[in-house]
Amino acid sequence: MTLLTILLLTVITFSSRYLFLHPGLPLKIGPKLANFLQFSAPAVLTTIWVPIIFVKESAADQGAQLDISLTNPYLLAATVAIIIAKQTKSIYLTLAASLIVFVLFKLYLP
Amino acid sequence: MSFNRKKAYLALAQKGLFDMMPLNLAVMPWGILCGSLAIQRDFSTLEALLMPTLVFAGALQLVTTQLIYEQAPLMTILFTAFVISSRHFLYGLALRDKLKHLSLPWRASLGFLLTDELFALSGARNALRGKLRLVYGLAAGGSFYLCWLVWNIIGIVAGSYLPDLTNLGLDFAIAVTFIALVIPSIVNIPLLVTVIVAAVLSVVFKLVDWQLGLVLASVIAMACGYLTSLIQAGISNNKLMPACNNSEHTS
Repeated sequence: MTLLTILLLTVITFSSRYLFLHPGLPLKIGPKLANFLQFSAPAVLTTIWVPIIFVKESAADQGAQLDISLTNPYLLAATVAIIIAKQTKSIYLTLAASLIVFVLFKLYLP
Repeated sequence: MSFNRKKAYLALAQKGLFDMMPLNLAVMPWGILCGSLAIQRDFSTLEALLMPTLVFAGALQLVTTQLIYEQAPLMTILFTAFVISSRHFLYGLALRDKLKHLSLPWRASLGFLLTDELFALSGARNALRGKLRLVYGLAAGGSFYLCWLVWNIIGIVAGSYLPDLTNLGLDFAIAVTFIALVIPSIVNIPLLVTVIVAAVLSVVFKLVDWQLGLVLASVIAMACGYLTSLIQAGISNNKLMPACNNSEHTS
């Protein structure tokens, strides 16, 4: 049963990635749609990382909660990440510095 | 001649590998988490291996692993997976004109490898245009796939010795990766508008626990960025006209 589910999941992820690459699909992308789609990477990636920083999923099933307090290690380390990314544009530096900050806050914050 | 071509392909493959390397490393904790969670949620070794090998997705693997363990109805599992995966439709759409003319092996392999990470590296106007840049994409995406597999396998092997890793904050590494990719790419006002709208709406939809809202948030943010660029173009056209005339006079 789990095997069947995994195969069906494979169909879902692959087809969601492949569908619009298929030439047989009757769809033409005009210049307006093309310009609109230029904004897809920053838009989609942002909807992934921002909730990780600001929304706390409580373990006790109380639902999701907004956490903008100064004791939120995600928020503090993300601020460091944004500043370093803006200044250096280096992925390695951004990763290294903010991960260290994150671990320190995680260990030493109440 | 052909020797030079071969060298060019190798150089581009190497560059793809290099550019993807920080992302390959950044997903290590997340991959180990996915692999170990599968084992801790009673998946057999084969099933746990097939998740990264075939399904090949981050958050989707985590969520469906948990749902399968809780014996949720099949339709619930599949619908949840569809919702989480639906952002990929936007990626395919954005790359359609570059890839639809290619042969099936190219389309299928790049399609299979089209994760958030590979899409993030394919943003440039020229990305994936021409054989050399396709080799670059294949090397970048392929290396990400192999690393994802290795991190998962480590999780699977260590799974029964590891504690439950789900609440340790390993998702922070994912968030930073995307911060490092998105923030330097904000080079004009329309992009800034896109990111701010996406940020606010995604948090709101997440708080009301509406998964499909994340894709809607993306689309609305894209529309806001696009409209801003139109308004900006309109304003600068109005200003440019007399400016152009002036420069003609002075020259």
